[in-house]
Amino acid sequence: MGMTAIIAKLAVRAVRVLIVEVPGQWLTRVELEDQMLRRGWRRAWAPADADVLAVCGTPGPELTPLVDRLWEQMPGPRVRANMCSSSTVSSALNDAATLYVDTDQHAKDARERAQEPQIPHDDMDHSGHGSHDHSGMEDSGHDHMSHSGHDGMDHDNHTGMHHNGHGEIDHSGADHMNHSGNDSMDHDEVDHDSHADMHHNGDDHMDHSGHNGHGGMDHSGLEDSGHDHSGHGGMDHSGHGGMDMSPGGIPLAQGGPDRDGLEMDVLHLPLGPVLAYWPAGLVLDCTLQGDVVVDSEASIVDGRDHEHSLHVFAPDLRAALLCDNVMALLALAGADDLAARARQARDCLLRGDHTAALDRLERLIRTIRRSWLLRWSLQGVLVLEQVDLHRHSLPASCRGDAYDRMLRTLARIQAAVGGAGPMIDDDVSWQVLPNLVTGLELATLRLAVASVNLRLHPTTQGGKA
Amino acid sequence: MDGIVGMGMVAIVAVVLLYGLHRAVSVLAQPLTVLPAQSGWIPQEHALSRYHVRWYLASIVFLAFDVEMLFMYPWAIVVAEKGISAVIEMFLFLGALLVAVAWAWREGAFRWV
Amino acid sequence: MTDSGLVTVSAGWAVVAGAILCSLAVFAIALDTGLTARAQGARGGWTTIAGRFARLLRQRRRTTVAADTMLWRAGGVGMFIGAFFMVAVIPLGQWTLADLDVGVVWLNTIDVLVWALVWLTGWGANSTYSLIGGYRFLAHGLAYELPLMFALVAPAIAAGSLNVGAVAAAQDDDLWFVVWMPVAFLIYLIGVMGFSVWGPFAAAVATDITGGAGTELSAVDRLVFHAGRYLFLAAGAAFSVPLFLGGGAGPWLPDWTWVLIKTLAVLAVLVWSRRKIPLMRPDRFMTIGWTLLLPAIVVQDLVVSVLVVWKG
Repeated sequence: MGMTAIIAKLAVRAVRVLIVEVPGQWLTRVELEDQMLRRGWRRAWAPADADVLAVCGTPGPELTPLVDRLWEQMPGPRVRANMCSSSTVSSALNDAATLYVDTDQHAKDARERAQEPQIPHDDMDHSGHGSHDHSGMEDSGHDHMSHSGHDGMDHDNHTGMHHNGHGEIDHSGADHMNHSGNDSMDHDEVDHDSHADMHHNGDDHMDHSGHNGHGGMDHSGLEDSGHDHSGHGGMDHSGHGGMDMSPGGIPLAQGGPDRDGLEMDVLHLPLGPVLAYWPAGLVLDCTLQGDVVVDSEASIVDGRDHEHSLHVFAPDLRAALLCDNVMALLALAGADDLAARARQARDCLLRGDHTAALDRLERLIRTIRRSWLLRWSLQGVLVLEQVDLHRHSLPASCRGDAYDRMLRTLARIQAAVGGAGPMIDDDVSWQVLPNLVTGLELATLRLAVASVNLRLHPTTQGGKA
Repeated sequence: MDGIVGMGMVAIVAVVLLYGLHRAVSVLAQPLTVLPAQSGWIPQEHALSRYHVRWYLASIVFLAFDVEMLFMYPWAIVVAEKGISAVIEMFLFLGALLVAVAWAWREGAFRWV
Repeated sequence: MTDSGLVTVSAGWAVVAGAILCSLAVFAIALDTGLTARAQGARGGWTTIAGRFARLLRQRRRTTVAADTMLWRAGGVGMFIGAFFMVAVIPLGQWTLADLDVGVVWLNTIDVLVWALVWLTGWGANSTYSLIGGYRFLAHGLAYELPLMFALVAPAIAAGSLNVGAVAAAQDDDLWFVVWMPVAFLIYLIGVMGFSVWGPFAAAVATDITGGAGTELSAVDRLVFHAGRYLFLAAGAAFSVPLFLGGGAGPWLPDWTWVLIKTLAVLAVLVWSRRKIPLMRPDRFMTIGWTLLLPAIVVQDLVVSVLVVWKG
């Protein structure tokens, strides 16, 4: 056996796996985690550290390009393992292990793959984020595009305006941007006043909402164009001027006003859909100043594909799913051992072993109650009082901070497993997230999101198991 | 002094050996250029930017204290021979700084969200 | 050169010192791997460590679009090299590589260097997660560094010297410093976890920001950066021995063995404590550092200096 073979044989014991969880496929991910433990494989948090890209489920049209791009970011040796359901996990990992040690193949892949990333040059905003902004808008009914007076507007027209929109606004004349009813933009339903309203109210908001550069010029353009044509020229130039200052095809960060009256650069960071301990399929498009999220917009990848799935509601599955959420919260808080116990409780529930599950839950709850450091860490994270619950129409189980919610969830799991009957499904709709988490620091935001049980699409994640 | 230089040499040789070993056994020595990790999304802008350091107030308080350490180290050596007056002087000074810290804390300099 | 009574060995022994440091780091990794495996009910053990090493050697290096490559690599490699510099002044029994008059300040110098190294690693990658990680470390640094400095001063006051050998010698016929300055010892250990970006202070490389400062590192670049963190943890544990734990003092065995035994014990405590303490988020710890640790350590220094003058 040669040197490279020995190295490969050793390396396969410590493989790192980047997990892509297609919404609704959490049971596949659970099985994958179990199989990984048996092999001594661990999870990778980012593509740089990943050897295997494990895709749980079949990605839809929006997730597919993201997965492909993650694949391009993996350094190699890289292996892609597709697992459509939990029954194929084991064989997929066996294949992955075999492929991983084939050094010749990996050397060939390393030489032949694209050595530079492909960045679409024509229009960054549209190709990069456009596609998911747009899905966000369709799903969420643009509550984030403006706060008021928007409802009368046809969604399709609106998205149209945003996507091919630029071109139209720029080139087909000022005429159609005129507020007083014009056909090309189909603004008929929007009366003049409310439209004007939208610009003024939406002003700040659009500035933050992930259309940097184009966001800025967009509405300066819109405002101007409401009055005269010449505004367009200016907008066009500023826009393209920005593009030219793009080392490597990526624009430079732009400044934005800050709470303290400073002007500091804003960065846009989409959280999800491929992110550890993050609700599968959820995308939270964050605008950051420093590590504080000053604006956010939520969407779901491939939201429409899952509407037809069945709503399966087995009590054990639901308890296990909640256990999984608690595990994510503990892992994010840095309590790895407690997270491991929550995972074991979850796996007991999925095996149907109630006695073992109850035993583990009880010990977990006891340890959590004893750990004042954990309480200190989670206390004050996303505090929701009665008024907040009312304002965002949240269930009573969300009351308090992340620590309260975690203990409450654990108590509910315990009660349900102990035979108190099925749990009420009072999960929180993901649409409300931006209202809850905007203004938080990033680490707190991750804890806050993990501390509420989200309903991501009508199916819940019951799966068809 | 030789010892410190020696340790530096050992460390550098270790790094060179590791990089050399990597060249020998990696699938390809030449690095790959990729986009930064953002769950697969194309970044909207370069991350290298004027980062909004929210704790700038804390860093100013820190500087005041940090400069104080310049006095603290030499003071530590002579305090035994100079006697109680040196202790009183130093801790009056530190006390004044701590009052400043208390004030900064009350003003919210250590919170940034 | 000084009154420490140490024998300065020739620079060639640096190879041995480096090997000891690396072994300590491997011990820390092994212990952490073992404890993690036990908690998860997973496979672990020595082969896993060799596997991790092999995996990163086999992996391909990568760079990001428009990365600040020079600063980025300087950060990663610097983490590896820095720890070697730190241990150069630690006496192993009666032998030392460098008998510096200002050895305690030397530790401080290197640990402040880590600020730059972690930040550069975060900055250079031109990646948002990485950048956030880099700045998180600075926020942590602002909170742990001052208490750490005051903790370093406490043994120096008691010994009347900044020479590491002299500090160890001052505990020879006396109580170990850990006994009458426990607050300083505790805060010193917090500082060690801080400059090693370890456990509760690993927010800069945490999961929630996909590995933070290390997000974009692969292959040997990742190896040196993360190995550097363990090396610093080992170096910090080794430094606590002359500062607080009586140096080579101990019955029956030769003094250099005692230094190693004590170092291993402190290192084991540091590794184990990760399992008991959750992450200290920088925004939370900032207040703790300034309003709890700092006043506590200043009072500790006051107590130490009053006692020294009293006995004096």
